Amino acid sequence: METAFELAPAIVLLPLAAFVVALLFGEYMPKKGAFAGIVATAASFLLSLYVLAAVASGGEFQETYFTWAAGDALSETGETTIEFTFGILLDPLSALMLVIVTLIAFLVHVFSLGYMNDEGETGLRRYYAELGLFTFSMLGFVVADNLLMAFMFFELVGLCSYLLIGFWFRTESAPSAAKKAFLVTRFGDYFFLLGVVAIGATFGTLAFQGDGSFVAEASSAIDANETLFGFDAETWVTITGLLVLGGVIGKSAQFPLHTWLPDAMEGPTTVSALIHAATMVAAGVYLVARMFGYYALSPTSLAIIAFVGGFTALFAATMGVVKDDIKQVLAYSTISQYGYMMLGLGVGGYVAGVFHLMNHAFFKALLFLGAGAVIVLMHHEQDMWKMGGLKDKAPVTYYTFLAGALALAGIIPFSGFWSKDEILFDAIILGLEEPIFLAAYAMGLLAVFFTGFYTFRMVFLTFHGEPRSDAARDPHPIGWNIKFPLVTLGVLALVAGVANLAPVGKLTGLEITYLEFWLDGQYGGYADLTYSEYGDTVPFETTYIAGSETITLLIAAGLGLGLAVGGAVFAMVLYNVPEPVPHTENLGSARTVLRSNYYQDEYQVWLAEKFTLPLARTADRFDQSVIDGVVNGVSSVSLFGSSRMQRLQTGVVTNYAALIIAGFIALLLVLGVLGGWFV
Amino acid sequence: MMIETLLAVTFAGALLTFLAPNRIAGKLAFAISLIPAGLSLWLFTMFDGSGNALLEGGELAFENQITWISLGAYEISWYVGLDGISLPLVVLTTVLTTLAIVSSWTPIDMRESQFYGLVLFIEANLIGVFVALDFFMWFIFWEAVLIPMYLLIGVWGGPRRKYAAIKFFIYTNVASLVMFGAFMALVFSLDVTSFALPEVTQAMLNGGPESFAGVGGSTVASLVFIAMFLGFAVKVPVVPFHTWLPDAHVEAPTPASVLLAGVLLKMGTYALLRVNFTMFPDQVEAYAIPIAVIAVISVIYGAMLALAQTDLKRIVAYSSVSSMGYVILGLIAYTNFGVGGATFQMVSHGLISGLMFMAVGVIYNATHTRMVTDMSGMADKMPIAVGILIAGAFGYMGLPLMSGFAAEYFIFFGAFGSEVLEYAPLFTALAMFGIVIVAGYLLFAMQRTLFGPYRLETDYEVSRAPLHDVAPMFVLLGLIIALGVAPELILEMIFDAVDPILGGDA
Repeated sequence: METAFELAPAIVLLPLAAFVVALLFGEYMPKKGAFAGIVATAASFLLSLYVLAAVASGGEFQETYFTWAAGDALSETGETTIEFTFGILLDPLSALMLVIVTLIAFLVHVFSLGYMNDEGETGLRRYYAELGLFTFSMLGFVVADNLLMAFMFFELVGLCSYLLIGFWFRTESAPSAAKKAFLVTRFGDYFFLLGVVAIGATFGTLAFQGDGSFVAEASSAIDANETLFGFDAETWVTITGLLVLGGVIGKSAQFPLHTWLPDAMEGPTTVSALIHAATMVAAGVYLVARMFGYYALSPTSLAIIAFVGGFTALFAATMGVVKDDIKQVLAYSTISQYGYMMLGLGVGGYVAGVFHLMNHAFFKALLFLGAGAVIVLMHHEQDMWKMGGLKDKAPVTYYTFLAGALALAGIIPFSGFWSKDEILFDAIILGLEEPIFLAAYAMGLLAVFFTGFYTFRMVFLTFHGEPRSDAARDPHPIGWNIKFPLVTLGVLALVAGVANLAPVGKLTGLEITYLEFWLDGQYGGYADLTYSEYGDTVPFETTYIAGSETITLLIAAGLGLGLAVGGAVFAMVLYNVPEPVPHTENLGSARTVLRSNYYQDEYQVWLAEKFTLPLARTADRFDQSVIDGVVNGVSSVSLFGSSRMQRLQTGVVTNYAALIIAGFIALLLVLGVLGGWFV
Repeated sequence: MMIETLLAVTFAGALLTFLAPNRIAGKLAFAISLIPAGLSLWLFTMFDGSGNALLEGGELAFENQITWISLGAYEISWYVGLDGISLPLVVLTTVLTTLAIVSSWTPIDMRESQFYGLVLFIEANLIGVFVALDFFMWFIFWEAVLIPMYLLIGVWGGPRRKYAAIKFFIYTNVASLVMFGAFMALVFSLDVTSFALPEVTQAMLNGGPESFAGVGGSTVASLVFIAMFLGFAVKVPVVPFHTWLPDAHVEAPTPASVLLAGVLLKMGTYALLRVNFTMFPDQVEAYAIPIAVIAVISVIYGAMLALAQTDLKRIVAYSSVSSMGYVILGLIAYTNFGVGGATFQMVSHGLISGLMFMAVGVIYNATHTRMVTDMSGMADKMPIAVGILIAGAFGYMGLPLMSGFAAEYFIFFGAFGSEVLEYAPLFTALAMFGIVIVAGYLLFAMQRTLFGPYRLETDYEVSRAPLHDVAPMFVLLGLIIALGVAPELILEMIFDAVDPILGGDA
């Protein structure tokens, strides 16, 4: 157990080593540095499993490795010094996330052999170096034991996304998308950093765990009714928590900062898989889970998280319905699914949220890699209207993709069903007590139908019917390096739900909610970071329909499943035909709105290009004309003055003599007046 | 005598370079500049001082004081020494000069011996500014920096070099006059017998000025504080005294820009810290809000101006105004992390802006244009130089594990919890928005110039930059990352010198 934890830094550092190796020597290595990344992530994955086993056998680990900065600073709660450190915190949550991230990073590396190397890409050295850096950043974020370290790696994750989204930098669109991704998430990170600064200045610590953690400090400040920065403690905890949430909304692409994510499809599909399943986008929701104890202190924060989540789930799902590009559909599904996680966390369903984070990581990585396989099959065509009929020509891709689609749509018994059901169940039992959460639940529930519809619209258009282009009639072959990751993830998408069969457990009375036990620290972990600890803090009451948990459970599951199947069937009716046609025209003007993504991009581009830029130009003109004008004006005045003074210097001696005499007389007069000669 | 050796070697090197033939001047200046760089690094490792140079209770490193001139009741002395604030700046100066010299090899192709001689002459005077502890001596170095910089811009500069050079010289010189007059008034109203800065400081803190020329003591202190602030504000520069800076930068040759942004601007903030923020704690408190307003305006307005530019060098120049605004915010916070972070930012910004100017210079060397609209896809032609430029730009944006983030984080953290400044959280939040705008203008500029299909409006064949152009940038990048990963390398020393200012023990 000890060894596992002592090796933990290696989990993070191995991908960094892969980055350095690929950057320096990638050009000379077989497969341009891919093997460095594969070996590093495989080793990290094995070590992560080791850590998982160590936590499972009752372990927990927190160690500070390095003091980044330390100094005197009087905090609002009276601490006189503060230390900013790098440390590792290993508990059930981070150990689980380590396994997810390293597994997906490993599979993405393997898949890249087929997707990038075999397709003759250039710049592979850079690609593998950046993948390594990306994995390193995310792992550093996952194990961070304090909020500042989390922020720092959070930002590095953003940098790597920028680099990888803009991988094809010779195009016009990829650099633009990369810029947008960084800029929009930076806007969210502004609030996050302000939150980090505020929490540090308030409590004098940024540690996630322990008696001295900011969560514990905040809790006791609330109990003691302290005033912090002029607010009562709970309000201040709400404010700072929401500031941090700004970063989450940016990275996890929640409304209104979701606009970068669909554009980010400009990156290689492998990168999309990594960004959506296990790194960039996952980072936001993971952060909420990581500091869930802090949000649990503030019902207002939780309500906002739930509401943002529910709204985003529905909002994004409706846009996914009208997309033609297979990756675009997946992009909107990602936004929508992270909305569910936020909804789950917001209603206090810590386990449900993390469960969905895990399941989504598997099935979304699967779907993106599947989409990547389709793109290879289709000779780099992404428009679903040009596909069709791939079912028989690429069975491995089809069946694994189908597994992912069933999980995404939430069809029993695939993994997505169990976690989505748990989220909706947690939402409804809270919503029956607090109506505001019922609205969030309703949005989440409605989104289930859209999810089922767009998912199967995608499946039918891509794989069913008759081939609609030459590429679809004669697909490019794919190799083991593409099939292996697909099959691995396909199996996981099917079975991962077993981790927490909560409804089955409740109906049968079996103790099979393993993930709940896991996150509750029943195998190992810190007492202050457990589900029941959070549950005690969350100030919500819950109610069951007709007073029965079983009835509520069945109604909730039935509604969710029914809507998902309904959506899928509707898609089948419309699109599972030999020659499908677009039906979106029937939507009328709604279609325009949806295809324009509710004009979200328009107003943000307007803000940047039609508002901020002209404002900057006005400032520049003001600066040039007024401020610099005054500066140059002063020099003109002095030049003008001196040119006038020059005229006195005539060079004529008689003029000088006259001036001397005039001056002498003037002096005499002055002295005379002052001396009283004329009185 | 270590400091004297450092100064003497640098001055002698400047002279030697003046006399050398043009052909070898660049290499010779580089070889010579390694000596002060090495010496200052040696000082850095040997540093055993503690506390603040101007305040009691500390132990100055490499201190030396010899009476130089006796002026009636006043004594002027040769007085040098180093503490945790000045030493990092001395190292910054010597290292940056060496790198700036290497980066001049490509662009400077006339009057080389004079050029490199002047660069070394600037270096010597800059060191002088940071080591001097007697006002007169300090003022001589302070003014002597202007002359070579004036010549570097005026002789080796761009098309509007005369206007820019004269504007730079007169603007900063008038500011010096204001500052000098104010300091004289202060000395004459205090009960002191010398111009030694520690003595003046202690007289200020133990009683303050008596009435002078019919004006009450506390009014004298306030007026002097304001006048000194204005004098230094031009040098920093803060809005609205910043308009000389973009003109000077755009016209200056790359190495002059590197030194100008890297070190010359820090003279202003260094002097603010030494004089206004060390000698006048009461006035700092009284004028906290107006100064914080100036800081926020400098950050946001400077960033907005950078956003409007299409000349790469102007973008970097205006962003300096923004970055210096953070320094002012940190100073006015008047907390350990605020003032310490401000000092850290001086070093960090010196490295990062130096890197950015070099990178822009390398692109200019190859393309003979700096206009964003004139090029795109440069990453294709100059992958290494562009890679470093991207890294530098992210450093500027405050990417963690690079020094810019450390500096800004310390400043924000220090400012948020400030007790001197009312509404500190609000001011911090406003100034922090600069990190979004800086990302905006740098990413826009990078997208347009570095990425996309290759296109160049000027008739030049672009090829990879020579090694001696990129090597200095690698060194700077290494330092930026080192300070970002382990800010304690200099932060401990800085805190040690900052604590006494804020009433802590040395």
